Amino acid sequence: MTLNLCVLTPNRMIWDSEVKEIILSTNSGQIGVLPNHAPIATAVDIGLLRIRRNCQWLTVALMGGFARISNNEITILGNDAEISTDIDPQEAKQTLEIAEANLSRAEGKRQAIESNLALR
Amino acid sequence: MAMAALRREGRRFLLPTASSAPTIAARSAISNEESCLFGVRSISTQIVRNRMKSVKNIQKITKAMKMVAASKLRGVQIRTEASRGVWQPFIALLGDSPSIDVKKNVIVTVSSDKGLCGGINSTSVKVSKALFKVYSGPEKEPKYVILGEKGKAQLVRDSKDHIMLSVSELQKNPVNYTQVSVLADDILKNVEFDALRVVYNKFRSIVLFIPTVSTILSPETIEKESEAGGSLGDLDLYEIEGGETKSEVLQNLTEFQFSCVMFNAVLENACSELGARMSAMDSSSRNAGEMLDRLTLAYNRTRQASITTELIEIISGASALEG
Repeated sequence: MTLNLCVLTPNRMIWDSEVKEIILSTNSGQIGVLPNHAPIATAVDIGLLRIRRNCQWLTVALMGGFARISNNEITILGNDAEISTDIDPQEAKQTLEIAEANLSRAEGKRQAIESNLALR
Repeated sequence: MAMAALRREGRRFLLPTASSAPTIAARSAISNEESCLFGVRSISTQIVRNRMKSVKNIQKITKAMKMVAASKLRGVQIRTEASRGVWQPFIALLGDSPSIDVKKNVIVTVSSDKGLCGGINSTSVKVSKALFKVYSGPEKEPKYVILGEKGKAQLVRDSKDHIMLSVSELQKNPVNYTQVSVLADDILKNVEFDALRVVYNKFRSIVLFIPTVSTILSPETIEKESEAGGSLGDLDLYEIEGGETKSEVLQNLTEFQFSCVMFNAVLENACSELGARMSAMDSSSRNAGEMLDRLTLAYNRTRQASITTELIEIISGASALEG
């Protein structure tokens, strides 16, 4: 039993294949979704989306959006998203420092997420 | 015969630097003098030559414009196709009801800023005006939001009071999602609506653009419809996570849907504009080429006719002098 996951942003499609489990963060905490989950529609916060495929976890940084789960089909629409392998750790660290200097909350969150991914 | 001799003398005076073969030297200036001294007997070659030069310039310019449009089109086409997938989940969730009947309709017309792009702006405006008529009624009056200079120019003429907001210079920088979402936010803030109809030209291929209308319903309308049943009634099957109420989720959803649809619409219209400009410039440069061919024929004919006349005059003058 697998879930069909589709992660879309206005610029491009990030992910479209089958996974075993996902963990996404909503504004009331993180929720894990296994096959045969009840249908839900929820807003997704700026945070990490973790995807498990055959005991291997992949992370995607997601800048907020919506998720719809029904019938083992998950559609996640995000404002922007990046797979962790595509993020350059050095760049992320630098931007993190800049963002911390700016004390801008939303940006800080984003760079914190990116550097978290880099650390993983 | 005497006249011919006189004319020859006149030409010699006008060309003090003429070589010993006045016929050859005078040939290139014949047309000039003919037109100044004796009026225009036939189309002067000078005039034809001027026309040929300007037509050739036009041909070069339109060919260059076509290549510029073609190169820009490639980049925008990729992004458009990537953005097409984004609004489909919304339709899957909320259903698409273009024929819904609501009180406050807002027609968002997407058009281009620059001209020379064929008929796409006129078709968008025509469709918008038709929609306006369809939705006009005793209590309801649709309003316009216009993106792009060309649409504004055409709609301002007869529907000036119905225009709520107009935006131009959208295409200065390559369009990106943040810019469009800010714009969408703006529109949502300033405009009350029950249903938004976005009119744009969908890009099917380089020669085919289809005027399309995308409908987005306001959250209140969706709630009403979902209670009434029908395709939107399935919305209640979904539990809502995250401690938000259903109406909050619906509001966020419609805002997000609007900005996604706007992004797609602006990209598709940009693609269509570039494609239409390509084909318009292509046909105009081909036209210019045909004109150039015709003008070249006329020029050669005129030139040969004047040479023949010159020869006849010289020969008859010479034979008159001899005998």
